[in-house]
Amino acid sequence: MANSGAQSDNIYWHYTPSIKYSLGLDYQKDKISGEAFPSARLTYLINRKNTATSQRNLYVKTGFGLDSSDNHFYSLSGDWETRRLFGGFSAKQVSGIGYDLFEQRVKLGVAPYLGAYGDLHTWLMIESKKDDLDNKRITYPVLRFFKGGGLIEFSYHKKTDWDIHLMYRF
Amino acid sequence: MNKFLLATLLLTATATQAADHEMGHMHSHEGHVHDTMVDGQKLSVDVERFDNFVNAVPGDQVVVVSVQGMVCDFCARGIEKTFGKDSAVTKIDVDLASGKVLLAYAPETEINRAGIEQNILNNGLNTTAIQLVGK
Repeated sequence: MANSGAQSDNIYWHYTPSIKYSLGLDYQKDKISGEAFPSARLTYLINRKNTATSQRNLYVKTGFGLDSSDNHFYSLSGDWETRRLFGGFSAKQVSGIGYDLFEQRVKLGVAPYLGAYGDLHTWLMIESKKDDLDNKRITYPVLRFFKGGGLIEFSYHKKTDWDIHLMYRF
Repeated sequence: MNKFLLATLLLTATATQAADHEMGHMHSHEGHVHDTMVDGQKLSVDVERFDNFVNAVPGDQVVVVSVQGMVCDFCARGIEKTFGKDSAVTKIDVDLASGKVLLAYAPETEINRAGIEQNILNNGLNTTAIQLVGK
């Protein structure tokens, strides 16, 4: 997984031994502090609810710096999706990467068409984010495409400029 | 009132006919249907998709698995990958729209229903029904 945005660029690799958790390594280049932060990450699935038409998930995530355990984060995130609709949130506390940060995100999406398995899938989304760096909420559009194991997501806000998110599942 | 009754009767007749056609179509291929309904729900399949699948594996047993939580390609891909590793499975089709997984096995293969459920569960999804067709 790779992400490039106004605040940081990062590359994240993870392995999922079971559906309950995944282990990963993350390399983040922070654009605010100008420093690089390699870290080990753990994602744990607290709860999943499947129905015939939907899936709902609740996760806790944490990461610790490989060069200094002072660098760490933890977050709570959740999502609910059907083939047509998506809703998700996250609350994340980051510490020791040159500054402390508490960030909240909410994302809503709709699929304009329902593709079959293997088709190109498209999501029109809107995301709202607030952190305590400037204590101001920003809301911006997100365009998500995925096909096969690949996903690419673009978002744009005049303040944060472009944010690009790439993911591939092997 | 009479119009309402007439409309209700017509709708009921149409729905019954559609259901009969769906199940009847499955019967037309194999002669026998063995049902294992985990939650007691009635199975339904995309008839054209099912036909194409069955025609591609003549003589094989076909298992229709109803899956909950399969809402995106990533889930479907995981299922396909898992069953693709099983050498007993001769063909796989994942139908995202109906939440069904079609699996084909050689006629002599003993179907392991618990194993199928476990494979679905290992992908974070739930099985609600397994129907074996053609043995």
